[in-house]
Parts: sequence; C-alpha cells; structure tokens
Amino acid sequence: MTPRPLGAAARRSLAATALGAACVLALGACSSSSSSSSSSSSSGEKKGSAETSGRPELKVSGAYVPQPPTDKMAGGFLTVRNSGGKADKLTSVSTDVAGEVEMHETVEQQMRQVESLPVPAHGTLKLARGGNHLMLMELKHKPVKGQTVTFVLHFAKSGSVTVKAPVEATNYTPEK
Amino acid sequence: MRTTRTVPAAAALVAAAALALTGCGTDAGGKAADKPATVEKQEKGGTVLDQPFDKPDLTLTDTRGDKYDFIEETKGHPTLLYFGYTNCPDVCPLTMSNIAVAKSKLSKEEQKKLRVVFVTTDPERDTPEELGKWLRGQDPSFIGLTGDFDTIQAGARSLGVSVEPSYKKKNGDIVSTHGAQVLAFSPKDDKAHVLYTEGNTDPKILDGELPQIIKGENP
Repeated sequence: MTPRPLGAAARRSLAATALGAACVLALGACSSSSSSSSSSSSSGEKKGSAETSGRPELKVSGAYVPQPPTDKMAGGFLTVRNSGGKADKLTSVSTDVAGEVEMHETVEQQMRQVESLPVPAHGTLKLARGGNHLMLMELKHKPVKGQTVTFVLHFAKSGSVTVKAPVEATNYTPEK
Repeated sequence: MRTTRTVPAAAALVAAAALALTGCGTDAGGKAADKPATVEKQEKGGTVLDQPFDKPDLTLTDTRGDKYDFIEETKGHPTLLYFGYTNCPDVCPLTMSNIAVAKSKLSKEEQKKLRVVFVTTDPERDTPEELGKWLRGQDPSFIGLTGDFDTIQAGARSLGVSVEPSYKKKNGDIVSTHGAQVLAFSPKDDKAHVLYTEGNTDPKILDGELPQIIKGENP
C-alpha cells in the first residue's frame, strides 16, 4: 500500500533520530529525578554498571507474624540489611502457611500492593508496624502464638533467603 | 508524502516520551518505598482535646444484625471508638488488640463499664458475620458496626477521622482505609476529650491511661 523502498528507509531514519533525541531527554529527566550517577542505569536501578561494583550482602532479622484475629489473613514483618555496595530488591515472598503473600506499603492509612521493595546499598529495608508489611492471604490455618512460620524471600540479585518467623501476640511490637 | 513521513517520527517521539515517563514513574515509586516507614516511638500517650467532640450520629447494624444507635447505646459509658476494616493485616488488629490487652488488665468493675466500638470502613466486605468473627478473635465484648458507608464516613468526619470508600484497582486489589486515631469518650458528658493516634495505643500507654478514661478523667 505505502511506497516502501525509499519511504520506509526515510521513515526509519527520521524515527531513529526522534527516538535518539527522546532518549537523551529521558535520561536527563531520570538522572535529575533520582540523582543517579550511573549512566547505564535503567531508572535508577544501578544494574550492570562498572562504577557500582560489589554486590548486595543481605541479612534478614527480626522476622515475626502477629497472631491474626481470624484465619482470613495475617501480616508479616522483618528487616533486611544490606552491607554490600549494590542495591537489591525483594521481588516476591512465599510461605508454608499461606497460598499467597503480597508486599504492601502503607500510605495515609491505606495499604498498597507493590511489585517489589528496594533494599538500598549499605541500607535497610524495614517491614514494620504502620509501614511496609507482608500480607499473607489464603491461610492454610490460623498461625497461633508459639508456632513458627517459614518465609522464603526472593531477591532480584541475591536469590532466595529462607527465614523462620515466630508467631507473636496480636499486638506484639518489637522494642526499638 | 512528507506529511505521512512525519507521522511515524512523531509517533516514535511520543512512544519514547511515554517510555521515559514510565521509567521515571517507576523510579519515583521505588524511591517512595525506599523510605522505611517506621512508627516513631512516642511516649506522650493520649492527646487531650481543647474542643471535645460530640458523639457522632451512627445508627448502624451490630454483629448480631441488630440496629445499634451509638449515642443511645453508649450513653454514660466510657467508650473507645475506632474506624477500621478486617481485611487489614497490620494496624487494625494491632489497635484492637492493644485495647483488648489493656482492657484485660482492668478490674471487673471497670471492664463492665467500658464500651469498645469498632466501626468498619469497608461495609461491603465487613458483614455483621465477618465483623463478629474478627472481633471475637480479639475480645468477645467488642461491638462491631457496619452499614451505609456515607453514614460511617460522615460520623468519622465529625470526629476529624478521614476515611475513604473502598475501591477496586485494575488488578482486582481492594483498597480500604482505616482511621488514624482512637477516640475516647467520657462517661460524664459523653464527649470525646482524648484521642490516641497511631503508635500511641501500645500497652505502655493504654494500660496506664485507660483507668482514667473510665473515670472520665483526662490522662
């Protein structure tokens, strides 16, 4: 239908130029918003860049599950410390007591499901009361205080980490 | 010909710009979640209100399916009121459980006087049965109310509690809001003189202050 031989080539070059210009714009915008120094980064993820050498070194601690009021759902809390020079992210969680685990952040008394939670380089990801948390759904049974729940945390770079989380009282909040 | 040629170029630009936006959008989202949201430790306890709140006109349905008039039923009783929902893994059960634990430490006499009322912000999912099941898991004496959302929201608003209707996201998730504070009404004048913000209902605070609330005194 359209005149291919010349037209298509011209279109491609035009499109490529436009795309190139837009890419520069995009990079400029992203780097200013995230103040990321990594040029090869895709939206501040800092992957595969030479200057961000090292790798994430993760340690999970303080995991617990408050005993839920019913067998409908439960929450889960833990802390991930990253002593490495590279960021990682928690991409999914599985457990022995629930069919599904969602990751949530809490914004203005509303919880929102997120695709992943970041673990910054030399930083901490905290899942704590009133903030980020795991939501355990499709419970196989109601976790009761004294029992232990096993979580398998899946990270983008560090692979899987298994943690045991004691079931605590419904209003348990660890001392800080 | 020239005009048709510029079309794909413009389309590419738009597409690239959209990509750029998406890239930055996820970046910003990631940054937002980056900040660990932790509950600040506060030792200040309940906040005494300069302008006490009247009891809201909440005529709703209780967990037995009966009509419940909040003003009438709690008249002359020290009353704690909280707005939340049962599909809530963190703050709602924490708040109600903190109250349950503090209540269990009161004398029998004090326990008998106290009314604890949980009003759902998610009436569609929180039927009387669901509410009843959830509250019995905390304390069987707790009163659970459900009903018309507009009534609930108006009642909450009159107490400075902001709640939004539940909505369904494209992925099927239902997003609900819980209130950020527990209101404590005095048995003397049936007004709320004290409120407890999130993170201020832990046993160290409530255990000490609840006996005063029951007497109608400010902590």
